[in-house]
Formats: sequence, C-alpha cells, structure tokens
Amino acid sequence: MIGVETRSKSMAGSSVEVKRNRKRRKESSLWWMYLPALAAVCFFILYPFLNGIKISFTNWNGFSQTYDYVGFSQYTRMLKDPDTWLVVKNTLLYGVGSTVLQNVIGLGYALLLNQSIRFRNFTRTVVYLPVIISPLIMGYIFYFFFAFQGGALNDLLVFFGMDKINALGDPKINIWLIVFVNTFQFVGIAMIIYLAGLQSISKDYYEAAQIDGASSFQQFKNITLPMLMPSITINMVINIIGGLKLFDVIISLTGGGPGYASQSMSTFMYDLYFNRQDAGYAATQGVFMAIIILILSLAALVYFKRKEIEA
Amino acid sequence: MDYMGKKKKWLLSGVALLISAFHLIPFYILITTALKERGDFSSKWVFPKVLAFENFAEAWETASLGNALSNTTIITFVSALLLIVFGSMAAYPLARRQTKLNKFVFMIFIAVMVIPPLTALVPLYKLVVDIGMMNTLEIAILNNVASFLPLTIFLYSGFIRSTIPKELEEAAKMDGASTLGIFFRIVFPLLKPVTASILIISCVFIWNDYQFAIFFLQAEEVKTSTVALAGFFGENANRMNLVAAAAIMAVLPMVVLFLLLQKHFVKGLASGSVKG
Amino acid sequence: MKKLLKTVAVAAALTTIVTGCNKASSGNEANSDMTVVNLYSTVTNEADKITLQNVVKKFEKENPDIDIKENYPADGYEGMLRVKMAANDMPDLFDTHGWAIHRYGEYVEDLKDMDWVKDLDPALEQILKDESGKVYAYPLNQAKDGLTYNATLLEEYGIEPPTTFDEFLTALETIKKKGKGEVTPLWFAGADKSAFGQYFDQFSTPLLITGEQNFQKELLDGTFDWSNYTFLADKLKEMHDKKLLNEDILTAQNHQMVDLMAQNKIGFIVGGGMLGPSVEELNPEVKLGVIPMPVIEEGDEPSWIGGERHTLAVWKDSKVKEEAKKFLEFISQPEIVKEIAEGTSLPSGLTNTESKNYYSEYYEKYADVKVEPYFDRIYLPSGMWDPMGATGQELLSGTMTPDEVSKKMEEEYKRLLAQKK
Repeated sequence: MIGVETRSKSMAGSSVEVKRNRKRRKESSLWWMYLPALAAVCFFILYPFLNGIKISFTNWNGFSQTYDYVGFSQYTRMLKDPDTWLVVKNTLLYGVGSTVLQNVIGLGYALLLNQSIRFRNFTRTVVYLPVIISPLIMGYIFYFFFAFQGGALNDLLVFFGMDKINALGDPKINIWLIVFVNTFQFVGIAMIIYLAGLQSISKDYYEAAQIDGASSFQQFKNITLPMLMPSITINMVINIIGGLKLFDVIISLTGGGPGYASQSMSTFMYDLYFNRQDAGYAATQGVFMAIIILILSLAALVYFKRKEIEA
Repeated sequence: MDYMGKKKKWLLSGVALLISAFHLIPFYILITTALKERGDFSSKWVFPKVLAFENFAEAWETASLGNALSNTTIITFVSALLLIVFGSMAAYPLARRQTKLNKFVFMIFIAVMVIPPLTALVPLYKLVVDIGMMNTLEIAILNNVASFLPLTIFLYSGFIRSTIPKELEEAAKMDGASTLGIFFRIVFPLLKPVTASILIISCVFIWNDYQFAIFFLQAEEVKTSTVALAGFFGENANRMNLVAAAAIMAVLPMVVLFLLLQKHFVKGLASGSVKG
Repeated sequence: MKKLLKTVAVAAALTTIVTGCNKASSGNEANSDMTVVNLYSTVTNEADKITLQNVVKKFEKENPDIDIKENYPADGYEGMLRVKMAANDMPDLFDTHGWAIHRYGEYVEDLKDMDWVKDLDPALEQILKDESGKVYAYPLNQAKDGLTYNATLLEEYGIEPPTTFDEFLTALETIKKKGKGEVTPLWFAGADKSAFGQYFDQFSTPLLITGEQNFQKELLDGTFDWSNYTFLADKLKEMHDKKLLNEDILTAQNHQMVDLMAQNKIGFIVGGGMLGPSVEELNPEVKLGVIPMPVIEEGDEPSWIGGERHTLAVWKDSKVKEEAKKFLEFISQPEIVKEIAEGTSLPSGLTNTESKNYYSEYYEKYADVKVEPYFDRIYLPSGMWDPMGATGQELLSGTMTPDEVSKKMEEEYKRLLAQKK
C-alpha cells in the first residue's frame, strides 16, 4: 500500500482550486465521536479532581457542610510535616523498588524461558498467574505467610530452630515485604513483555556475533539490551505509575502500620480523610502525589525513549 | 541458541521448575488454609488430614459470594463493552483528524491518566449522592469506563495511526459510506489485536477493583467480590480458613478464564508492547 | 479469535443465569410492600452481634412489613459514616459510639417524646441529652470500663487488685516473675490502633481530670500544656522495655484476646469488658474481673470510665423515621433491654430492668465509684481518637519518643479545635 498515491490531492485540480478547497473544506474534528468519552472522563475524573484541588485550599474535615479557606497553609504544612516525607520515601521505594526488581527478575525469567527447555509453558503460566488476582487478595495470601502467630514463614523458622520474627510489625522490614509482594504479583507482566521483545530479535544478529567470537555476556550487552529498549521503556513507565499508586496490597498486608511506617501516599490520603478528619490536607497530599507521578513518569518516558533512539 | 547440550537443557529446566515451585508456594498455603477444619491449628505447610470442604459452602453463604460474583461479572463485562465501543470511537477522530481541537482533547485524555483515583474520590462521592446514584451498578460501570478510557484511547489511536492504512477509509468514502459506517464496518474489525489487549487488561483490573467499589458499592445487593471479601476478612479474623476459602472462590472465575484463554492474554499484552 | 468469542458468549450466558437465580432467590427482598430500614452498628464482638441479630429477628417477626438491614463495618465504621455525613446520606438507624452530641449532633432526630426517655439511666443524662432537653440517641448499653484482669491468675499469684498506678506496675512485675515468661502481664491487640487509644484515653482521666490538680479547664479552652500528657507515653514505653507487654504487640489481633485469656496467658487488659462470657465458654476454669481505673495522683478516688458504648440514633432526614422509631420502642421493653444488656455483658442504658451480667458482682462491689465520661469525648475535639492510638503504635515501634507523642497530640488538638468553629 505504500506506493499508492492519496487521491485527495488529485481531486483538487488547479492550484487556485486547491487553495479555495482547502479554505472551505476545513477538516471536521468529528468531535461527536469522542463526546461521550470526553463527557465521562470530565465528569468522573477531571471535575472531581479540580474540586479536589479546591479542597486542598481549605480546612474541611470531610463531613461538615461548612469549612474555611486557608490559602496555602495546607501546602506549607505538608512540606514541613515529617510524615509527608516518610510517606513520599515509602512511595518512591514501592514505585522504584518494585520497578527495578520486576524488570531485572522479569528479564531474567524471560531469558530463561526464551530457550527451548522443558516446563517452559508451565512456568510461564505459573509466574503470570498472580497478575490475574486482585492485589487485595494477594496481600491476604501473603498475610497468611508472614503473620507472627501461625504464619507459614515463622513455622519454617521455628522448625529450623530459629526465632520467630515479626516481619509485618517491624517498620524496617515490612516495607520491603510490600515491595516483595508487589514484585511477586506483577513480575509476570515484565516477563511477558520481555519475552515478546526477545522473540522479535532476529537470530541473525546472534549468529553473526558468535562467528565473531563474542561471549554470551557481550552478546547480551550489545545485542539483546539495545534491541529490548522499547520493551524496557514500556515496562518502566507502567511499573513506575503502578508502583507509585500502590494501595490495595498495603492495606491487606500491613494496614499501613505500625503507626504510619508503611503508608504510601495513597493510603496516607485515605487515612487522613477517613480516620483523621483531615480532608483538606488529604486533598493537598493528593495534588502533591499527582505532581510526583507526572514528573516521574514523564522523566522515565523521556529517558528511556532517548535510550531507545540511541540503540 | 537453539541447540544446547542435554546437560544444560536439563539444568535450565530444573531452574524453571524451581521457579515454578517458588511461585506456587503462596497458592499452596492458601489451599491448605482453606481446607483446614475450625480447630485445626497445625502449621500452614502441613496438608490437612481431614479436608474441610464445608468451609467453602459456609464461606459462600456467609459472604454472599454468589451475589458478589454476579455483580462483579456484570460490572466487568458491561464496562468492557462500553469501553471498546466508545473508546475506539473516540480514538478514531483523534488519530485521523489532527485539528487543534483534537490535539487538545487528546492531551486531556493522556493527562488524566496521572491523577490518583483517591484525589477524585470525595468530591465524586458527593456528586454521586447528589444525583442519587449511590449503590447502583450503573455508577460503578460508568466510573470504571471513565477510568480506562484514557488508556484505551491511547492504545487505539496509536494503533490506528501506525497500522491502519487510510486508503481503505477513503475508498469507502468515495463509495458514499457515512463516517460511522466507515468506522464500524471497516476500521473497527481491523482493531482486533488492540481490542483483545484492552479487553484483557481492563477486565482484570475492573474485576479486581477495590478502591472504588469499597465506597460506592457498600449495600449488600451491589457489593462486588473484592468488597465482600475485605469485609469478610475483617469480620472473621479468627476464622482464617473461611477467609482463605472465600478468597479461592473469588479468584477462581478469573483464573479459569485465564487458563482457558492463556494464549490471548499473553498475545494481547505482548503485541501491545512491541508496537510501542 | 473464534474461541475467544465462544468463551465470551458462554460466560455471558452463565452470568445471566447466575444473576437470574440470585435475583429470584433474593427476590423476596425486592418486595415493594416491605419497608426497608438501614441500621449501622459498631458492634464487632461475635456475641454482641448475635444478640443484636436475634433482637432484630424478633422485631421483624412481630412486624413482617418492616425489613431491617444490618451493617457491621467494624473498623471501617467511622470512616464510612464520615463520608456519609459529607454526602448527607446517613443510615436510618446508626450507632453514635460516644459522639451523639459532639459529632453526629446535627444529623439526629430528637427522641425526647419517646416513652423510654423517662427510664434513661441518670449516668447517661449528660451524655445523650443537652440543656434544651433534646435526646440524641437510644442507648443499647453503657460502657463501664476499667481494667479487666484474669482473677483466677491473680488469686493464684496472691496479687491484690491495684488501686494506684504504682501498685498496678508492681502487680505487672509480679505477674511477669511468677508467670515465668508464659504470661503476658499487660496485653494489647496492637495491630488495632484503638488498643493504644484505650490505654491513653482511660488513663488520661486519673492523670488529668479527677485529681485535685486537674486540667479540665485548660483542655476545654484550648490552653492545655501537652507536656503533662507525656507521663502516659513514658510509662507505656517503660512497660515495653521491661517486657511487661506482649512481644508481638504491634501485630497482635483483637480476636486472639479470648483464646489467650482462656489459656491463662494474659494478666491484664485495658478496657475489654466484653470478654467474660466468651472466655468462660472456652475454659470455665478461668474467671475474669474488672476494677475501676487506678489513681495516679495521691489520695485521688478511682473512677469508672463510662458513657455510650452502643447506641442507635435516628437520622433526622430519614424517610422511614416512624419505622425506625418503632424499632427503638420495641427494644426499650424491659425484657428486650435485659436481653441486650446481658447479651453484651454491659449495664443497660435504661433503668426499667434489673440485668445481671458476668461482671455484676464486681459492679456491685464498686457501686460507689464515680463514673467519669470518656476523656476524649468531653475534653478533646472530635477526631483525636485516631492519633491517640497511632502515636501509641509509633512509640512502640521506635519511630517516636514520648515527647514527640505529646507534640503530635498537641498539633492535632490545635488543628481539630480550629475545625470546630
């Protein structure tokens, strides 16, 4: 189809007619086709979000019919609040930590499964399975595993003569558990995307490299990685956005505790609004969160797109 | 890379098997927990001697899983349908007609993807109450559709622009077909791969949604499976075997669907990613 | 693709069938003759829930045209109700759990013309009524909280129930020694913030309110110096460091309380009065007792912490007000009042009946002890309960020092007071 000329130009005829036609026949936007979609998005997302921004300038407690406008005080409060930074740190950990782990492990699995070995399809299915399950339920499943009393992990430790550990209650450990569970659940996606990417790399490159005497590692570094760049970009961006918005799994695994130790920005917002009568502040955190997600995902997109072009 | 020594093959296969086993452990524990009787406090690793299948019946009843699952199913399927129809329709002009207005609208759709759902929650709640649609399946459907429209439109428009040749549409226009006709009869059928991807991604997410459902679907009749399960967990903290049984039943439909349609799940995700 | 379509078609068909079946079986509920009344309660305890459910069933039997839909959101109760308040969409009957006047006041129907008001226990007058005589809610029972303890164990170890805070600490030490590590002197279901909230709240009364030198005025007019609160955080940390608390305190769950108490593994709990009958069921050899709060200031009098526990208020904009009130009339009959009080092992809210519950002998023993209302409900603005508990968690997980706990409480106090206007 590449060689076929478009006909619209030939319809014009002389250059004068082209100009006249161009002016009169303005391209219609066909806006009515996206009107329902636009309406839905504006109504359910945009309007409430803008309203939410408005609330961030008040001290609304979340249920009274009255409240006061307080200017930027919620924002200054947020910047000074140590909890904010704790929660941002956690959120970044969840977002970036999960992303790195998912991608490294996912790539590893993909490399393994790209070869003709036994149990290949079975493994692929099993690894991908958790993606289908609700993150909430995944949290519960791992709760059975990590609970202090009667948890599977502690049973194992005791069996081998070691002390029980309070994994979920230790603020230094439980944030890593959350990263672990999130990774466990979604590593299948990274794996599949990498598998597809791997399979689209022509074998010729590898054969040529082998003839030149390149080692496996060199082949990986100079052929595989660069050619996987599009897949890497997608994985990175998806994972970062997903990880930053993490909510369900935190609620079911640690409830955000102890205290606020394992809260992410979303669970923190939830807590502020529903438990601490602090809707104004919750909205402020929400705006901050949107900004962070925007910046990070844009940064990731730009960075990896650039690498893609280089490769 | 295709030829490898037998030893290496068996070694790698062993590794694959280990990985599978590791990934299956949580499910194993879920199953053993679900099958234990009430007074059975044996370790979670031990497979119960007496299989308490009645846990499933009890959990099903108490958590009203039948109702919850049917709600979830309805919401998921109707949402998916609406997403495909209105999402693809919206993507068409945004991909084909590059007017200033359209470019602006496209940007809006993309920008919206960044907004954390919770930020919109409270005002949305108030809005929904004001129009009297609390606790209705309709509102859940509409909200889920709205949430996934941006991604849907993004994927469809990308695909239309990069893969579908304009000539077909122009030919049809010559023949006097209406815009809508052109779209649905010619363009849409060619969008199958993306449709499959979107169907799968959105169905999984909507089925598993918790953040939204927990506020807008509290009433018994409209609870979805995630809400029912969360409530069930809270109420039965000391009857974990029931909770495990309920969890198994709640995920079963999706798992079965997945096992049957594996190829499509995987293909959908893969093709979307390779096209970039 | 064809296979996909086929599967989808089958799934859609199945869905329709399942939905149809469900709607059919629950079809009776959609009966337009029945009036639906939505009831939300904070009841979490198994025994309490069954008690309430039985009463509802009895009512529905007598009034077949009324269907009461019960909801027990447990931990999520307050959050859910806040959202409902924001949207002005309250349940027809709802639990005010101590905040009938100060939080839910604007949303409740005045019940002063109902018959049972004359039988309202005087201890609840200040709590459910205001100066104008408006009655805010119906009390299902009242709180009479202090410290719950394993009486069997204390007797065995020769410990007298403590009357001062120092005696309390000594008692805990003795339990630790004599229990040889098997018994937790003071147990908290710390996974739930409320467990710590309970500690701070109940002990704030002897610390800040009942003594000669008290801070009632300062708390109410917003000038309270929160460094006076640090004592409680200090002591809690001390207890933790001396291993007088349970090792898994931050992940221990409420439901474990009964099991552990029945195995004689717990000495004391703050609050927790509802345990008695459940423990007895598991192990009849274990007897529980309750004592009022030990004093902190020398020479002070001990006090019970009381007020609302479970109530039902009627939404003033409810469309089924009459039916809702009918339910309240039903449960205010003497036999039902007794049933609820005994079923929840707490004193009834009305005086029209004599109810004996598990702790009656203890209540009688301490009948002269004054009942103080819950500290946070009177002296703190609405919304302080959450940080009260959360700071406890943070204190014990090492992320906050006792001074920081007080500082956090002060911040929230000031912020919430500003909201009140």
